[in-house]
Amino acid sequence: MKTVRARTALYHGAMIVLTFAFVFPALLAVSMSLRTDANMFAADQLIPHPITFEHYARLFEALPDLWRYFLNTLVIAVLGTAGTLLSSSMAGFALARIRFPGRGALLIAMLLTLMVPVHATLIPQYVIFRELGWLNTPLPIVVPLLFGTPFATFFFRQYFIALPLELEDAAAIDGAGPWRTFFRIFVPLSGSAYLAIGLLTFVSLWNSYFLNTIYLARQESWVLTQALQSLIGRYQTDYGAIMAGVTLVSLPILIAYLIFQRRIVHGISMTGLAN
Amino acid sequence: MTDVRSQRPAESRAANPAPRRRRNSLSSRRARTALMFVAPQVIGLLVFTAGPLVASLGLSFTHWDLVAPQPTFTGLENWQHLLGDDRIPAVLWNTVRFILVGTSSFLVFSLLAALLTYTPSRLVGLYRAALFLPYVLSQIAVGVVWRWMFNSQSGPITVGVELLGIPSPDWLLDPATAMSSIAMVVTWQTVGYGMTLYISALQGVPAPLLEAATIDGANRWQRFRHVTIPIISPTIFFLSVTSLIGAFQLFDPVVAMTGASIGGSGPATAGGPSNSTRTIVLYMYNQMFNYDEPISGLGYAAAIAWMLAMLIFIVTAIQFVVGGRFVYTEAERAPRRVRRGKGTR
Repeated sequence: MKTVRARTALYHGAMIVLTFAFVFPALLAVSMSLRTDANMFAADQLIPHPITFEHYARLFEALPDLWRYFLNTLVIAVLGTAGTLLSSSMAGFALARIRFPGRGALLIAMLLTLMVPVHATLIPQYVIFRELGWLNTPLPIVVPLLFGTPFATFFFRQYFIALPLELEDAAAIDGAGPWRTFFRIFVPLSGSAYLAIGLLTFVSLWNSYFLNTIYLARQESWVLTQALQSLIGRYQTDYGAIMAGVTLVSLPILIAYLIFQRRIVHGISMTGLAN
Repeated sequence: MTDVRSQRPAESRAANPAPRRRRNSLSSRRARTALMFVAPQVIGLLVFTAGPLVASLGLSFTHWDLVAPQPTFTGLENWQHLLGDDRIPAVLWNTVRFILVGTSSFLVFSLLAALLTYTPSRLVGLYRAALFLPYVLSQIAVGVVWRWMFNSQSGPITVGVELLGIPSPDWLLDPATAMSSIAMVVTWQTVGYGMTLYISALQGVPAPLLEAATIDGANRWQRFRHVTIPIISPTIFFLSVTSLIGAFQLFDPVVAMTGASIGGSGPATAGGPSNSTRTIVLYMYNQMFNYDEPISGLGYAAAIAWMLAMLIFIVTAIQFVVGGRFVYTEAERAPRRVRRGKGTR
């Protein structure tokens, strides 16, 4: 009995240390963004006292267009997520629920696509988007997503495949065709799938950097990750402003995570089933 | 679409006289509808993946600096240069070092984290939420914070190590430790993801099987090794494949932790110290926008990108061949699950 209790205590002790190690950098960033310059490197300032917001003011001085980057990021994340959800869920529905020639081939093609790195298709796309005058606009990132992503399509296929067959029977009795069956029956029933994949897509777009740095070179078209990266060199020693930037960029995601933590984690665990 | 509905009565009318024709028209109608549903995805795959993939290969036989209006065909020049370019083995070696430290520790530590947290309780929910937290943050934000954590003067990691009485390495500033430091951060950030997948796999291990093994005299390690591991092997396989694919594409964390910024051109300055953290993608990026060298620009970058794609393909294919022997598949359960949802009838 005693050893069991000791082991439980040991387990929770170890887990609390581990938990702290995973939360600490985020805490540190928020903390440093609120410290005064004099206290920046003090060890007893994890809970900053006194608190100052001067670094946030300095951040906006250094990046006067921060709201614009915020807006740019939001536009890409919202449009990209909406397009992915619509096109991928439609394709996922057909792959799961309609028997048609070429279905197997399409599935295999999508599987293979998951292996193709974006880099191998990037350069011709860059040339074409440049030709179209799309550089420094959200279009090169958003437009491909409007056609859906294989990853999201797989996810929806797995989800729709598991729904009971009686759904179509009931719809057929009511005289509904596949379109009505999909939009009136499957979509409303699949809110959790849409929420899960929507959150995952939104978060990954919000956080993305590589494609943005290729397509959005001009400063007014930047997204937040680019703005954040740009702070490093200029303010190498101004950790207060850098951490204020980290905090602001991460805040919307942190809030979403606090609200939807279960959904996000559940969605992630479902992506493992896609294999 | 309207035609689907308007044809519905025809379908029931045609039910008795010509069953064969009915089935044909029904399946072709179904095919047409399905085509409408998958059209965006199919067009997307053709226009944004298949087409550019082929075009990329074409570009790899050209020289193009974007200043010229058109690429000039240079035959195998880029590929010959690639084989002789001593920066290529260097970036590959950097990737291998990342995999040795990062990918392997990711696979092991996320399984450990899952073993520690797979029995649900309220506190465990909190632990899981904390371990998963870094995964939802951007690699740039995380990298920027860790850059401070590793700071050689007063970064918390450096200070912590020195408190233990050990002289702290220079982490990101020393070519010997920089890549390992980045790998540690990436592992730290992605452990929660691996843990989540392992947890759902562990919850699928049938309790009667473990009990049967106990009755047969298996100890804890034997049960883990011979019951749990085989059953979660599809997840181990999935995570190895995806994390290796990810490792070959490493970019954002390196830029965040080693890049400076001069007028917003962060990636161009990343990869240090002494190019010890320059990855394949970083090199490709720099060649794409660097026209100083005679062989550079979009053509050479396309060759590097194709080399990357081929490497990923080969490594994944090897994993499928090797993994096929070790991965345990539920032969009787899987087909039934697939059959259930097939077809609309």
